[in-house]
Order: sequence, then structure tokens, then C-alpha cells
Amino acid sequence: MTDRTLRGAIAVLALAGAAVAAYLVYARYTGTRLACTTGGCETVQHSKYAKAAGIPVAVLGLTAYVAVFATTFSARVEGAAIGAAIVLAGLAFGVYLIVIQVAVIDAICQWCLASDGILALLAIAAAERLRRVAAKP
Amino acid sequence: MRSVKHLLGSRAALFAAVGIVAVGIAAALIVVSVVGSSDKKKAGATPIPATTAAATPGTTAPGSTTAPAPGFKVSGGAATAKLFGGIPQTKNVLGNPKAPVTMIEFADLQCPFCRDYALNALPTIVRDYVRPGKVKLVFAGIAFIGPDSETALRATYAAGLQNRLWNFLDLLYRNQGAENSGWVTDPLLRAAAQAIPGVDVGTLLSARRTTEVDNALLATQQQASSARVSSTPSFFAGPTGGTLNRINLTSLGPSAFRPTLDALLK
Repeated sequence: MTDRTLRGAIAVLALAGAAVAAYLVYARYTGTRLACTTGGCETVQHSKYAKAAGIPVAVLGLTAYVAVFATTFSARVEGAAIGAAIVLAGLAFGVYLIVIQVAVIDAICQWCLASDGILALLAIAAAERLRRVAAKP
Repeated sequence: MRSVKHLLGSRAALFAAVGIVAVGIAAALIVVSVVGSSDKKKAGATPIPATTAAATPGTTAPGSTTAPAPGFKVSGGAATAKLFGGIPQTKNVLGNPKAPVTMIEFADLQCPFCRDYALNALPTIVRDYVRPGKVKLVFAGIAFIGPDSETALRATYAAGLQNRLWNFLDLLYRNQGAENSGWVTDPLLRAAAQAIPGVDVGTLLSARRTTEVDNALLATQQQASSARVSSTPSFFAGPTGGTLNRINLTSLGPSAFRPTLDALLK
């Protein structure tokens, strides 16, 4: 797999994540009811854990996905490193939010889980990209 | 321009740097999230002392003439969380939305009989009918006893906007004071909201005067009028989506509800 292919995969995954986050941001600011099969999306989105430093987590997620997408335009090691750092941080924060959903809020948001799944795939791709780029002389 | 890799000297150092930055960002986000969710005193909010066990109104008997002192914790948070844990809630509805039977309760949060039902019969109904997905419960709050009724009701419906109406309702019943004694204070409502995991207390309190809560109160009042509800608690049950009929009760114990619910489930 070439670096170009990896960057393409990361770009597609980042766009998918951005779409999920954008939907959550849209629903939050327009008051639209979320499509939800788990029954807990609204509960999670209205919980006190849905914000960090006053900023909705969905907005943070959207920003992060856009930033990761932007790094795919760079073939340099810096781009790969910044992308990997953002993705790994997002994945760690996502795991924390899953624990909060299960152990504290007692409700599961399927859109959050979808985002976490995308982040997990992104983490694999971003780590592999960094490994390949760093191996170049 | 020299690359980051060259600056760091090796691949291992590069990976370590990325890992450290990632952990740092994640840790910062988690700290901010935990601190932000701890419901510390907000500007303009009524303060609540951390330890005020002596003033806990959980043991306040219905009929007591004293309103709880401002600044206290509510009792029953753990029991309430256990009672409703894992059961879906959507606004004023508790249970599986597709449950075959619907039971609606018209209640006033100051009504001691409503409290008796909530504490004595509801846990059994939840265990035997709601948790298995057979029956869904609808709360219809009306305010006819006095000013405290509407104050409590508004906060309860505001909790419903976060899908935690039933937890909030149960906590208010567990901490119910004497009718129209002024027991429904902001400290009580704040403490009740704080006792529910995940609830955004500030949002709940500020939502009490929203159009959404106004509309919910109005709709319930109209529903009560058309159903000719003249006392609380009043119960109606029937097939979901069909006609609900009044349940004529001889007591407010759990066994009083079984014949009606079992017959509807046959």
C-alpha cells in the first residue's frame, strides 16, 4: 500500500467522521431530534458530559476530523505526525466517553459509537502512515 | 527546512513525541470534561453546602408542617438510579416505546397519595411490567394543590427534556414536604438534579420557563380536563395507540394494578 493510498483512506475516514460529527452539531443547534435506535442519543447529547470547557464535544469532534482531513494533503512527516496525534487523542477521549455513557449516564449514543469506530480505523491508518513516512530516509 | 524526524533524531523519538502529544491532548480533554461536569457553583446560582445531612428532607413525613431548610442534599439518589437504570426514557414516557400496553398517571407532586403510589407500587410495576417491555408509563403532571405543585412540575418536565423525568420525579417524591409549605425550593430542585448522573443541572433549571415546558403543562392540563380528572393520582390504561380507560382502584398497592394490566396483556 502506498502512502498516497493510505492518505486517501485517512481522508475518506476523516470525512465520514466529520459527517457524523456535523450531524450531531446540526441536531444540537437546530433542536432536531436525533435518529436513534439505541434510545439514548438525546440523553447523552443533553448530558453534562456533552460539553468540554463549554464547547460541545460534537464541535470538538468536527474540528478534529477536519484537521485530520487537512493533514492528508501533506506528504511530509509533520502531516503524518500531527494527524496521528489528533487521532490518537480523539480515540482516547472517545474511550473515556464510552465509559461515561455506560457507567455514569446509563445511556448509549449510537452516533458516538459510530464516531469511535471511525476513530479506531483512523488510528490504525494514521499509525501505519506515520510508520511508513518515518521509515523513509 | 529540517523535518521533525531529523530534529527529534530517530523514529522512536518521533513516535514517542506523537504519543506524548496525543496523551496530553486526551488528558486535557478528560480533565476539562470532568471539571466541567462537576456542577460547581455557577454565577447567580444558589449555593448548596456540601454537608448538610441534618437538613436532609428525605425523612420528612408527609403532613409535616416545616419546609426543608435551604441548602441540603436529597436522599434516595441511589435507589432512584437503580429503579430506572437501563430503562429507556423519552420525555415523560418510561419504558419500551413499542410496549403493547400504556398506562398514564395524572399526578400532583405535592399529593401524598401520589407519593405513596410512587414509593410503594411503582417499583413493582416497573420490575414486573415496564422493565420486561410489557407496559410503558406516561407521567401527566397537573398542578392543582398550590404554587409548589407548579414549581415542582416545571422542573420535572425540564428534567424530561434530558430524558430523566422519572428519576427527578421519584427524587421529589422521596423528598416531599408538606403541601404548600414552600418546600419546593431552588436548592431542593438543584440537589435533586445533581443526584441524577449525567444531568446538566444548569440546563435543567434554566429550561423550567421554556416554551417547551409551558406547552407540556398546557397539553397535560387539557388532557386532564378532557379525561375529567378531578383527583390525583388518577390512572388510565389501555392498548398502546388505542383507547385508555380509567383504572378504578381500591388501593394504591402494586396488586391493585395487576388485574387491569394482566387483562390488557392477554
